[in-house]
Amino acid sequence: MISRRGFLSFGFGLAVSLLLKGPRPLLCASLPHFFFAQLKYRGGEWDPNPQFVSAMIEELELRTSINGSKERRVTTLFDPDLFFYPLLYMAGRYEFDPFTPQEREILRRFLTHGGFLFAEDTVGAKGFGFDRAFRNEMKKILPDHELKGLPPDHSVYRSFYLIETIGGRQKVNPYLEGITLDNWTPVLYSQNDLSGAWSRDRYGKWVNECVPGGEPQRSSAFKAGINIIVYSFTSDYKKDLVHHPFIKRRQN
Amino acid sequence: MNGIPVFPLWLILILLALGWTAVIVQYGLIRRRLGSSRAIILSLLRLGVILLLLSFALNPSTTARKEHKMLSPIAILLDTSQSMGLATQSGKSSRLEDAKALLLDGEKSLLKSLTGRVEVKLYALGDSLRAFDGGELSLLKATRKQVDLSEALDRLRREYSLAILLSDGNLKWEKKNSAGIPLITIPVGDTGEYRDTLIKEVKTPPLAFRGREVRIDVTIKSYGYAGLTLPVLLKDGNRLLKAKNMTIKQTSDEITFPLSFIPEEVGQHHLSVSIPPQFGESLTSNNSVHFSLRVVRDKIRILMVSGNPSMSYRFMRMALKNDPSIDLLSFVILRTPSNVLNVPIQEQSLIPFPVETLFSKELKNFDLLLFDNFPYQFYFNPKVLEPVREFVRDGGSFSMIGGPNVFDSYAGTPVEDILPVRLTGRRDYHRDAPLEVKLTPVGANHPITRLSLDENENVRLWQEMPSLDGVNLLDPKSSGRVLLESGERASWPILTVGDYGKGRVLVLSTDDSWKWYMGMVAKGKGQWAYLRFIEKMVRWLTKDPSLDPVQIILPERAGTAGQETGVRITLRENDLSPNPKGVISLSVVNPDGLKIASDLKTTGPSGEYVGSFFPEKEGMHKIKVETPFGSVEESLAITRPGEDLDGAPQHERLRMISASTGGKFLSRGDDLLKEIEPYVGRDAYRFIEERSLQLWSRPYVLAILLLLLTTEWYLRRRWGMV
Repeated sequence: MISRRGFLSFGFGLAVSLLLKGPRPLLCASLPHFFFAQLKYRGGEWDPNPQFVSAMIEELELRTSINGSKERRVTTLFDPDLFFYPLLYMAGRYEFDPFTPQEREILRRFLTHGGFLFAEDTVGAKGFGFDRAFRNEMKKILPDHELKGLPPDHSVYRSFYLIETIGGRQKVNPYLEGITLDNWTPVLYSQNDLSGAWSRDRYGKWVNECVPGGEPQRSSAFKAGINIIVYSFTSDYKKDLVHHPFIKRRQN
Repeated sequence: MNGIPVFPLWLILILLALGWTAVIVQYGLIRRRLGSSRAIILSLLRLGVILLLLSFALNPSTTARKEHKMLSPIAILLDTSQSMGLATQSGKSSRLEDAKALLLDGEKSLLKSLTGRVEVKLYALGDSLRAFDGGELSLLKATRKQVDLSEALDRLRREYSLAILLSDGNLKWEKKNSAGIPLITIPVGDTGEYRDTLIKEVKTPPLAFRGREVRIDVTIKSYGYAGLTLPVLLKDGNRLLKAKNMTIKQTSDEITFPLSFIPEEVGQHHLSVSIPPQFGESLTSNNSVHFSLRVVRDKIRILMVSGNPSMSYRFMRMALKNDPSIDLLSFVILRTPSNVLNVPIQEQSLIPFPVETLFSKELKNFDLLLFDNFPYQFYFNPKVLEPVREFVRDGGSFSMIGGPNVFDSYAGTPVEDILPVRLTGRRDYHRDAPLEVKLTPVGANHPITRLSLDENENVRLWQEMPSLDGVNLLDPKSSGRVLLESGERASWPILTVGDYGKGRVLVLSTDDSWKWYMGMVAKGKGQWAYLRFIEKMVRWLTKDPSLDPVQIILPERAGTAGQETGVRITLRENDLSPNPKGVISLSVVNPDGLKIASDLKTTGPSGEYVGSFFPEKEGMHKIKVETPFGSVEESLAITRPGEDLDGAPQHERLRMISASTGGKFLSRGDDLLKEIEPYVGRDAYRFIEERSLQLWSRPYVLAILLLLLTTEWYLRRRWGMV
């Protein structure tokens, strides 16, 4: 039985969402190509921003030709469909339990054979909590590769928007970090809490304020999100020679 | 004097003493009758006889020493290589017959004269260095090959101190330190009268690239045709590729010049360079040279247009980019006309989609056009697709990857004509329960879907492939060949191929093929199957010969009739099994359609073989290699012998060779015997013969004995003793 408060909340949320909803792309109306698959792990807090998907998918569909789904899939490393997820999302605030050797092996195989992981430390505390646990795990999973800041000419900064700085709910790093294997960066990592900036409640209100930059910083977070998703589908496409003169001209 | 006594010495001394005593007794008896002087004479005669007889018992002998001088044997080499079979300018006989006449003709022929003085051995220098008897000389014929003269002399130096060579100078000679025997050369053939034009050399690159100019350096040589202008023709089979006029400036001239052309088709090309025969030419077989040139692509150029960023694009891009033989230009539609941009252009990385340039101007520069879930109708009108149809009709390749945005929109466009599937114009994209894929009977043996050489393994491999979520439900045209189809409920074609004009077309009616990559990785079986599938797909579409599991690699130069011809055969290991299973066989068919004997041997590396055969006839020979997983056939031109023969007498070369061995070059006008004489005696060797003579066996000893006895008898008779 639905309560009066619940009924009003639902009705108001529906109205706001209809009002805020942008024009639907006519083209890819059929079925989704993109969805967030969020990794649920043991210990810590695996889901710090449970409402981050909706606004990001709307923005994605509004700005790009990618067809997305607002349905978030929660997964583990033992999920048999893990290897079919276009983007594995992992977020957290606190230190989590170490992965088992089997989990590490699966993640290593996933990352070294074309899988893509976007991870976020939503607290942004360098060397503590989630940051420390995640870096430790990456060292164990890909010991020969370092998680480090991506250079300004990395494809993720130009896959859709030409980005010079990374926004977010907070501004810990103006850049993304990543682990690069040959020409492909299967691991992207941010401590700016991008998903915190994307989070919107069911009434259409932003869940978090972006500090210190306010709404431009949120806008920047959405651009970074779109670039990350486009990058996960196009890899280093923007490094092709055909793009060079255009990008160079616009950056000057 | 020496010798071993017949009797022991003591016995001889006793006999001597007895003899001496008998003579003294005789002397005493005779002196009383004939007086002292006559007794002495008779006693001395008897003593002489006794001493002589006793000396026989001592076995006296003498040693005679005699010095002898021996002449070293001589080797006469008769060049029987190919050019020695050429007619002399009089046209009456060959150079070889001329050489034979030089040896045999005349009352005091060179061979007879030499044989009278010294031991002479005859050798034919042709296929091999072969000794022969004088009686065989008239039967000698010119052969097609020649051994190295320096090697031949190396062999002869142990037995001979001198070699005499009769040749026109067309010999193999590797200059070595002169440690062998001196060589006297006697030239045959007339350098001044020889007339010929020939293709001396054709230099080709080891590989040529389709669409890129190939330069072939041709060297023409001529003797006796100063001022002549010759047309030089470069042909591919019977098709003329290039013609060029060359003018010969000097009597003996050599010209090198390039002939260039642009190969249009990949594969093995049988080319020839030829010049027409001229009046009075000594040899016309060397007026053409046949050779093979393998034409490959420099890179397979692919234009890929994707309707949106997708996993299909990323994995296909990765597979294409990983292949160094592929040059990929891709355009991904990042935003559609219905998308809203919230930033100025300076903040976007988007670039314009150059429709006009790509489809009207640049398309011909690509080998493969790939539409990946690309809905053209948002970017250009259907007329722009007309060049796509022309591109395929003229030999280009086209592939369409499925997805929610395609196929239905192409109904009624030029692309519909070239696709091997029927378009309904209705929404055909299906995303429901995953569909398994299975090989069709055609797909089981098609190069694209034959990922493993083992048929059963290949079927198992496709059965293991993950199911597909998104599939375009299409019907194949009657001309289309379905290689993969959905395995449940209704059979929908997943992979369909076809031909249109000179080009090939492929439809992959799913945007989920990337799952064949990640799905197999998830199963721990690696990504090779997907990568190989994409590679084979591209190579089949672009008609790349490297896709063939069996390849015959022909020799660079055409084979020659009567000579062993070899080809290399490679089996491409297309699966994970270490060795191809089954038996491989080689067959060769001559221009008359008859199968000729051939041999096939394995070489070191696995999957590599060498085939050989002896063609007897000129013309195209078909070489076929059959294996359990496919066969391949190539043609090889076999030319008549003498194609590369420069038959001009090389007398200066003979002069150089003989000088380097310490020998001499003689001309036909020289007194050959006189010139050879100093060399014949130079290396004579001497020895002393010792002969032992026993005196008793000499007749004069018997005569002395008889003389002594007769004289004694006569004197006794005269003096009245008898």
